[in-house]
Amino acid sequence: MFPRHSSVLVVDDESALRKALRTSLIASGFSVEEARSGEEALGTVQRNRFDLVLLDVSMPGMSGIDACRRIRGISPQAGIVMVTVRDQEDDKVQALEAGADDYVTKPFKLRELTARLRAVLRRTRTSDAVEPVVLRAGNLELDLHERLLRRNGEEIHLSPKEFDLLAFMMKNAGAPLTHMKLLRTVWGVDYGNELEYLRSYVRMLRKKIEADPAAPEYIVTEPWLGYRFRDPSDPDSPPKSAQDD
Amino acid sequence: MGQQYVPGLAKSARYALIGSIAAILLAFICYRIHLDFASVIPFYLLLVVLQSLTGDFRSCVIVAVISTACLDLFFTEPLFSFRIDHPLNALALAAFVFTSLVITRLVARVREEARSAKLQKERLDRLYQLAQRLLGLDPEAPLGEDFLEPFRRLFGIRAVCVFEAESAELHLVGDSQELAVRTRNAYIRGTDLDDVDARLSVRRLRTSGQLSGAIGFAGLEDPAETAGALAALTAALLERKIAFHAASESAAAAQTEIYRSAMLDALAHEFKTPLATILAGVGGLREAGSLTAEQEGMADTVENEAFRLGSLTSRLLRTARLDNEHIRPRLEPVDITALVAQLIRQYSARSSDRAIFLTDGHEATQALADPELIRLMVGQLIENACKYSRPGSVVTLAVEREAELVAIRVSNNGSAIPRNEQRRIFERFYRGEDAKRSTSGSGLGLYVARKIALVHGGALDLEAGQSDDRVTFCLKIPTTKEELQHVPTA
Repeated sequence: MFPRHSSVLVVDDESALRKALRTSLIASGFSVEEARSGEEALGTVQRNRFDLVLLDVSMPGMSGIDACRRIRGISPQAGIVMVTVRDQEDDKVQALEAGADDYVTKPFKLRELTARLRAVLRRTRTSDAVEPVVLRAGNLELDLHERLLRRNGEEIHLSPKEFDLLAFMMKNAGAPLTHMKLLRTVWGVDYGNELEYLRSYVRMLRKKIEADPAAPEYIVTEPWLGYRFRDPSDPDSPPKSAQDD
Repeated sequence: MGQQYVPGLAKSARYALIGSIAAILLAFICYRIHLDFASVIPFYLLLVVLQSLTGDFRSCVIVAVISTACLDLFFTEPLFSFRIDHPLNALALAAFVFTSLVITRLVARVREEARSAKLQKERLDRLYQLAQRLLGLDPEAPLGEDFLEPFRRLFGIRAVCVFEAESAELHLVGDSQELAVRTRNAYIRGTDLDDVDARLSVRRLRTSGQLSGAIGFAGLEDPAETAGALAALTAALLERKIAFHAASESAAAAQTEIYRSAMLDALAHEFKTPLATILAGVGGLREAGSLTAEQEGMADTVENEAFRLGSLTSRLLRTARLDNEHIRPRLEPVDITALVAQLIRQYSARSSDRAIFLTDGHEATQALADPELIRLMVGQLIENACKYSRPGSVVTLAVEREAELVAIRVSNNGSAIPRNEQRRIFERFYRGEDAKRSTSGSGLGLYVARKIALVHGGALDLEAGQSDDRVTFCLKIPTTKEELQHVPTA
């Protein structure tokens, strides 16, 4: 799908973790460079082009959030994955607002990390490409021209807002989407805090597309943060119960 | 109020004697210089006014009567007789009597009021001084000698005694064992005491509406006026002492808890990076691809256990945070049955040596709740049920609607929680005697779980009437929005 040896810059102040990640990511088929701090990472990013940056949120000196914002400025095409320690939604929201593409929470399994990295890589690669007219995920088919949803080939009626919401989610399949981002994109820039709108639309969508709306497979809740659209047929999509320990 | 100032009889007699002599002397002088009836009357009025300045009503009346008699005898026709020929003279005499009595009455009253106002002011001054002295003392010191001495000095009393019910301590300043005994008795009997002969007064002390001691005075002047005020002042200071004590105690406790939570937080964070390193390392080992099947299995074990440790740490952190903060649930409609079913699946997969079942409740039950918090709370209950039951035993859950509430019951086989621990298990950092011996825990789980239940407008309790070998926790939260409007935000 993408050339082997995608380059990753690992930014962390813990040398043991850097070393372990380096060895393991190389074994998983990435090429890896390290940086010990946000400041060092900025210099490295200016010199070399990276496909991915794995960036620790809490580092002494420049914070990971600041570094993320600056790296995004220098290297807009790089996929940025933040490593958060606190499983607090604030860090995650801040990271996403600073331009990160995704996040993993310490401690994470290596497979989870590589899956995230691959998914981000794919999203950043395809985003430049021409948008397809029909989006597919699992047994869903969303026709953007006809504004039609088919599930197992059967047409399902969606209201215009439901359609817009689902279309935006499917275009960003795999990516975490904050409540605010969803509201602003689908409802308009004046929105952002109307969580109950979003929740009721998500509930209706789940009733229409999920086999069991109580255990959703497509629209997964990211606790306290937002939602993530998951393609069950994608091997790199996060596990269904990402929120559970 | 207004206990009247009444001078002794002897004093009245003395005043009356002086006044009477003056009246007779005045009659003698005026008679000798041949003043007539009309000119004499003002002198007598003056005399009566002067007499009334003594403030002694009885002597004034006597002087007024004698003055009238002198006027009648020496200045009205016929002289030296009480008979009065001329009706105008009789009228004048009557007017004199009336005027002098009215003057006497008025002046006496004014003087009396001035006197009591002065006394009142003095008393207030002394009370004020006393309050100032007492407020200057260490608020947490016992009501000992330092406390009682100012009473004695400022109010000139023989002895003062205070009995404090909380410590059952009795403090006495001055020499009166009788006062000590009667002060304690007044507290025990719950009655005030005024012994006029022994000049003892005892008043009960009340703090926060409760009888909390008694204070007694020996030789207090004017006990009806003063004793109550002194007792009120003492009670106020006693209240202050209790409040100070409670405040410093809770401040100390709060400080300890802050340290404790900060420690938990720091520890949990410190754990996460090494765990991430272990996970990255073991993952890389497998990716390197040169492991035998057996080694692969061991790598899996290391990975799973390290991940589990990470999850435990995360949950401990989350619980510690919820413990510290005011919880603000983000309410949304939640299908409680589905949520519970999902948790059961999740925990069944994790603890294979305990069977977890949903026995009751297969219909969707909606509630307005924060799904994350409910998940955390029910998860905690399931976890506890597994932790405190023997391997191989059964943990059951039931979801039922009860009027406006949805009840979630989690029960497990295990020894019943001792009666004296039943209330305490919901306390912060409390760990039962059995729990301390057999399992690990932070002592926060149930405390935080109950906090979550309360903030949802619900409750979490140990089910009453538990049998000997089954422990059931019951969590109830409201199903409707109306119910939730009464929820406190804390």
